[in-house]
Amino acid sequence: MTEAVFRETTADPGTQSVPLAHLSLELGHLYMEDFEAGPERLREHFAEVRIWVDAARASAARRIGGKRPRVSTCFLIDDYFSRFSTPAELIPLVLEEAERAGVVIDYLARESGCAVADRIELAESVMHRLVESPPPGSHGSRPPVSQTGWLANGQRTSPNRSALAEIVTWQPPQETAARNHSVFMDVELWSETDKGRLWSCPFLAAVWQLARLGLLRHLGEPVLVPKPWTGGEFPQDWDRLPPLLKLNDSRVAFSAYRTCTLMANRFLAVEDAVRLILDQVDVDSEALQQVAKRSAAEGVAVPEAVAQRATYVFYEEPANPSSPDGS
Amino acid sequence: MATPGRSARSVLACGEVRTGLLPSFQALDGRAAAQLLRLRADEHVRVSERPNLYALSPEVLTGVDCRLPTSNGAKVRGVGTVIARAALTEGRVLQSTAYFSAPADGPDVRRPWGHYLVRPGVVEPFGKLPEQATADGVLRGGGRGDLDLGMISEGLLAQLVRHPLLDHKAPFKSRRTHLRWAARRTPEGQEPALDRFTLAQDGLRTVELRVPESIPAGAVAGLCEDLALHDWLLTTVVHMLENSRLGAADGPAAVLALRPAVDHLLHLWMPRAHVDRALGHLWDVLEREPGFSRQWENLRQRIRDQLAIQAIPLLHQALSTR
Amino acid sequence: MLIFAASDKGGTGRSVTSANLAYQRALTGDDVCYLDFDFGSPTASAVFDVPDARQAAEDRGLHSYLIGETSEPVRIDVWADTEHRVLRNQPPGAGRLILMPGNLSGGEFATTGENLRRCVDLLLRLNSEFDLIIVDLSAGRSYAVEMALMATAQRELSGIEARWLVFHRWTRQHVEAAAGLVYGKRGILAHGVASGHDEDALRGAIRFVRAAVPDPDSALWSQATPTQSAWMEQCDTELKQLASHHGIGYSQVLGSVPLEPVLQWREQLITDEDVLDSQIATMETWQALSDLAARLTDDKYWEEA
Repeated sequence: MTEAVFRETTADPGTQSVPLAHLSLELGHLYMEDFEAGPERLREHFAEVRIWVDAARASAARRIGGKRPRVSTCFLIDDYFSRFSTPAELIPLVLEEAERAGVVIDYLARESGCAVADRIELAESVMHRLVESPPPGSHGSRPPVSQTGWLANGQRTSPNRSALAEIVTWQPPQETAARNHSVFMDVELWSETDKGRLWSCPFLAAVWQLARLGLLRHLGEPVLVPKPWTGGEFPQDWDRLPPLLKLNDSRVAFSAYRTCTLMANRFLAVEDAVRLILDQVDVDSEALQQVAKRSAAEGVAVPEAVAQRATYVFYEEPANPSSPDGS
Repeated sequence: MATPGRSARSVLACGEVRTGLLPSFQALDGRAAAQLLRLRADEHVRVSERPNLYALSPEVLTGVDCRLPTSNGAKVRGVGTVIARAALTEGRVLQSTAYFSAPADGPDVRRPWGHYLVRPGVVEPFGKLPEQATADGVLRGGGRGDLDLGMISEGLLAQLVRHPLLDHKAPFKSRRTHLRWAARRTPEGQEPALDRFTLAQDGLRTVELRVPESIPAGAVAGLCEDLALHDWLLTTVVHMLENSRLGAADGPAAVLALRPAVDHLLHLWMPRAHVDRALGHLWDVLEREPGFSRQWENLRQRIRDQLAIQAIPLLHQALSTR
Repeated sequence: MLIFAASDKGGTGRSVTSANLAYQRALTGDDVCYLDFDFGSPTASAVFDVPDARQAAEDRGLHSYLIGETSEPVRIDVWADTEHRVLRNQPPGAGRLILMPGNLSGGEFATTGENLRRCVDLLLRLNSEFDLIIVDLSAGRSYAVEMALMATAQRELSGIEARWLVFHRWTRQHVEAAAGLVYGKRGILAHGVASGHDEDALRGAIRFVRAAVPDPDSALWSQATPTQSAWMEQCDTELKQLASHHGIGYSQVLGSVPLEPVLQWREQLITDEDVLDSQIATMETWQALSDLAARLTDDKYWEEA
C-alpha cells in the first residue's frame, strides 16, 4: 500500500519518548515531622538507606546479567500537605547528610509537582485515566470514579436501596480478586476543601510512580522534565523551586523501567493504596508501548502490569535521638 | 497499532454507534469541537479539516465483568475493557461508539485487573467463545445483565451533551439512530467484506462484516461510524420531507420545514471521508444496492426543486415590476 | 418544551387530562412524549389503551431507568400499539405520540446523585427528539415533584423551557389544597427555590387547570330548578373569590375542563369520534382540551400577570 500524500498534524499527533534508566531508586520519603526532628534524624535515615541502596543496585545488576545497571536516585520533599522551612535552608541540609552517609541524590522533586507541574495538572490527568476494576456483574453501568472520589479493590457493602424496600441485613464488602477471603480496601483519592481539591497522599504517590516509570505525557509531550541545577543558592520559596531538579551531572535518566522505593514501614498502607491505584490506571498506550519495546530490545523486559514494576524496601523507623522521652 | 499487552489474536469485534444532531443552535468550529471532545486533559483530540471538519475524541475505557450476549442462550462470562469514543462531523452530527474485541478463548479464572488494562478494548471470555452466537447476540441486543454496549455509548453521549458549550437549542428535532455491528475476523490475506446491512425498527440498524486480523478494531469502528452517519442523514432528511408534506401543505410552509435540511445537513454527505483505506471499498456494496448516494442525490434534488418552484412567483413579481 | 403536570390530591383528572393534551398536540403535528412519573400508581397504559405496556414496563419502566437498573426506559408508540379502535389509525399530518410508562411496582427513591443525573440525561435526550414532553407527576408533595424541581434547576436544563400545570377540582377544599401545593410551606415554589430556581421565574412558569368544573349553562344542568341554578352561580362566584384570595385567580389559570362523565368514568382519551359520531363526549370538553393544548405553548398565556 502506498503512503498517504496528504497529512494533517492535528489529525495524527504523535507521542514523544523519554530516556529510560534501568532503575529509579527513591531514597526515602520524608515529611515535615522528619525535618522538624533535626539533622540527627536525617543522619539516621540516610545511614539506614545506604545499606538498602547497595542491595537495590546489586539486584538491578543481577537482573541485567551482571553488567553495570543505569540507576538514578531521587528524593521527594513534601511541600503539598505542609510546608516547612525554605528550600534554601533545607535542601543543603539534606544533601549534606546524604553525602555524609555516602548516598548520592541525582534528582530532587517536590510533592506538589505531582499535583501540578509547569502549569500542567498531572493529578487531574491521571484521575481521568482511572478505569475501575469491575466487580462481577458490571455490564457497563458503573458510575465513573470521578463522581465518587474513592477507589476500591472490590465491591463495597451494598448501598441503601429505596426507602420502602425490605430492610437488608449487613453485607460484607468483597475483594474482586480475593483468594478464598477478602482483603477489602477503599482509597480516598481526594477531598474537597475551601481552597479547592486536596489530592490524597496515595494518589499523588501514584502519580509520582508513573512519572518515575516514564509513563506520563501531556498531549504527547513528556512532563516533569528535570531542570538542571546550576549551583548556587536554592530559592527562598518552595513555589520557585522547579518541580524536578537534577542536582548533578549524572547521565542516567530520571525515569526507568522499574522503580524501587526505600521507606520506613509506616508507609506500608499508603503504598498498598498506591498499588491499588496503579492497578486501575489506563496508562497512555503509546508510552506503554515505547517502554515495552525498548526494554525488550535491551533484554530486560518489564512486567506487563504497571503496578508490578514498582518495588519497595520497608525498613524499621529510625529512632529519634533528639526527641525527649514521652513527648 | 498493536495493543501493548501480548494478546491472543481476536476472532470477533463488536460495537454500537449512536448518532444524533448536536444539541446546539450553532455548529461548533474546530476549536470548540476539540474542547467538547476532550475526554482526557492530557490527550489530543484528533481534528481534521480536509475534506470536511471532523473531530475524534481520545478513547476511554469501561471495565466490564458480565455475561456476553448470545443468540443461543449460551452463558459466557467475559472480563475486560470496552473502548468508548466520540466523533463530531462538521460540528453538527455527534456520534459515540462503544466497541470491543474478543479472543477465541480465555482462562477460567479472572486475572489481576492490570492484565486487562494493558489490553484496552479486549474482553476475554471464560472458556471458549461461541463466535457466531456472540456476534448475533450483540446485534440482537443482550438480555438483562448482559454486556450492554448501548449503555456505554449512551453514557458517553450523555456526558458530552451535558457540556456547558451546548445550549440545547438545536435548529430542529430529530431522532437518534443506533447501529450495532459485528465483525468476524478472517485469516490474513482475505479481503474484508460487508455481508449485511439491516434497517430495523425504532432507529436500529445492524451491520455484519468480515475483516482480516491485521485491520485494527478501531478502523472497523471508524467504518461503522461513517455508515451510521450517512444512514442517519438519510433517515433524518426523509423524515423531514415526510413532515413537510410536500404537495399537501402549502408551498411556503413546506419550504420552511425543509429549510433546516438546507442549512445544516445537505453539505454533510461525504462517504468514506475518514475511513481507513483498507475498508473504504466496503461502501461499494451499499452504493450498488440500495444505493445510499443515489437516494441522497434524489432527496437533495427534490428539496432544491421545491426551493426553485417557490422562487418562481418571486421571479415573476420581480419581472413584472420592472 | 417540558410540561410538568402536578396536583395536590388524587382524583383531579390530572393524568387523563394531561394525556389528552398530549394526544391533542400530536394531532396538530407535534412529536409528543408522555412520561408517566406517577410512580406507584401508573395509569397511562390504561388511558392510552396500550395493555402491552403494563407488561413491558414491569422491569424496564421509568422507575427502573431512574434507579439505574435499565439503560433505556421502554417506549411505546401509541399509534402503533394501542388497542383503541380510533387511535390505531394515525391521522395524516399527526406527529409521533410516545408513552414512557412507569413501573407497576416501584415506590420512592432518592432524588439526588445518580438518579437525578439520569433524570436530567433523559429529559435532555427527549428534548432533542420531541417538540413537547409532558411529565405526569404523582399527586402531592411527592418524590416525582421533587425530582422534577431538582432536575429543572440543573445548569444543563436551564436552556430548555419548562412549564408547570397544577390540576385541581373546582371545590373549596381542592382550591385551598392546590394553592398550598404551590405557595405553601413545603410547596413547589419553596422547594424550587431551595433547589436553585429563581422564584419569580418559577412562579411565572406555573399555571392552574380547573378540572371537573360544572358549567351551569351546559345541557347537563338544563333541567335544574331556578333555585338550583342560582345556588350554583353563587357557589361558583364564591369559589372564584376564594381562588383569587389564594393567588390562583383568573390570571393564573390556563384553562378549565368541564365536568365530563367520559373523563371521570372512562379515564380515556377523548377522540373526535367520541364527540361527533357516538356523541358520548361533549363538544365543550373537546374544545376545552384543544384550547388548553394550544395554550401550553402560546406565550400570551404565560406572560407575567
